[in-house]
Amino acid sequence: MSVEAVLRAHAPQAPESLRARVLELEPRRMPSRRLVLVLAVALVAAVAAAVVHGLVSSGPAPQQVVRGFAPHVELAPSVKSPAVPSVSAGGSVGAATTRLQQYEASLELRVKDVPNATTRATRIAAALGGYAQSVQYSSSSKSAYLVLRVPVPDVKTAIARLTALGTIVSQNLSVTDLEHDLQVESTQIAQLRRTIAALEAALRNPSLPDAQRVILQIRLANAKRALNERLNARTGTIAAGQTARISVELGTKHAVVPPAHRPGRLGRIVHSAVGFLGLEAAIALYALIALSPLALVAALFWSLREARRRRDDRLVME
Amino acid sequence: MTIGRRRAVKKGVNAASTLLDAPRRLGRNAGFAEVVAEELDAVYGYLVYLTGDRSAAEDLAAETFEKAFRTWRRFDPRRGSPRTWLCRIAHNVAIDWFRSEARRRKREDTYAQQQDIVDEFVDGLPGPLEQALRELSPAEREVVALRVLLDLDGPSASRVLGISQTACSTRLSRALKRLEEKA
Repeated sequence: MSVEAVLRAHAPQAPESLRARVLELEPRRMPSRRLVLVLAVALVAAVAAAVVHGLVSSGPAPQQVVRGFAPHVELAPSVKSPAVPSVSAGGSVGAATTRLQQYEASLELRVKDVPNATTRATRIAAALGGYAQSVQYSSSSKSAYLVLRVPVPDVKTAIARLTALGTIVSQNLSVTDLEHDLQVESTQIAQLRRTIAALEAALRNPSLPDAQRVILQIRLANAKRALNERLNARTGTIAAGQTARISVELGTKHAVVPPAHRPGRLGRIVHSAVGFLGLEAAIALYALIALSPLALVAALFWSLREARRRRDDRLVME
Repeated sequence: MTIGRRRAVKKGVNAASTLLDAPRRLGRNAGFAEVVAEELDAVYGYLVYLTGDRSAAEDLAAETFEKAFRTWRRFDPRRGSPRTWLCRIAHNVAIDWFRSEARRRKREDTYAQQQDIVDEFVDGLPGPLEQALRELSPAEREVVALRVLLDLDGPSASRVLGISQTACSTRLSRALKRLEEKA
């Protein structure tokens, strides 16, 4: 009988106690499953944070500016001022009669002949009692940018005529209430006038000491300068409320940039959430890059330890 | 049908009555109970040969199956048989044991390895053969256990040992030669 046969014939048998001990093993949760769970929770938290950020940052759509040519668009009265007028198709403006308001409109038009359209636009402004504040024409890009000033009562007519020059690509119209600014400036002017009158009355006193007279004269000069500035500012405010600013961008079919699509609430939420996720990913990537040298050192240490362990294993078995 | 079950049916292994309840207790690791039934003797024998200590082998076998149980879902039958997989785990467990034993001996300043092996190596083994088996190094006993006792093929045994097939064959022939000389 060979050695192998003897060894096989007397193979050790596991005792029943060991068999029972092994079968008593209870299932345990796998570490890998825990890791997956943690990762899943982290991912869900990241996505939830992004969605919340998207919801918070998207907010309601701004309504101060009317964009595009809706058949009949009305600005909500409470948006910028209690007296903001309605804006209807064709850029018609029901101008408020009692309040001073600043009208700003911008048009983007596609025209066939840019130089001709530029000339006609300036003529439209002049015909309505306005003027061209600035004209920029580029022959290379076949486009022109004009800033026209027209009297507020004629805004409707001006926009209607200007839009007839070509095809509308986009249109914005905003109305800002100037009444508050005007009131503030008027109050300041009245206050300054009272101050000046008081100073002049004081200076007329012959018994006033010279030193104090000089001080009062300086204060009077400062008050007059401030009054002058306030008067100019008020004139500018009134002028801004009397003439509307219309910026017109003219271009050919290829030059004009198509109007930007304004996404809805859901679109903005998604856009914001995706942006936030991108930020999170960037942070994670940054952390990964920052930690990679440590990970490399750890991997090196681990491989050295493994090599040493294998060598020790060989030694211990000999 | 798992490999373990297939092999159990093929070999006509009749599991112990305690095993009938095992799959239910082990839940989705039901296949593991069949592997235990089939491979426990093999793993235990392998560890007895490797350590030369039956009580230590018992502990190490329990530890081996505990580790195997924890990683049972990761076991891939395409990469090797359950026996090879278990032997690989048992090998690592035994290595740790050898290392701790070495530390313990160093601590106790006792180098007489024979003192640790006081039990009978294997029941019924002829005295000279048992003595010859004792005189082999653990590495040599290990290769004998894998190739002879457990009947693993060359590639599987070398995979368990972490050495080349040539080294495995050389070690086996040297061990058998020494056994034959002294038996």
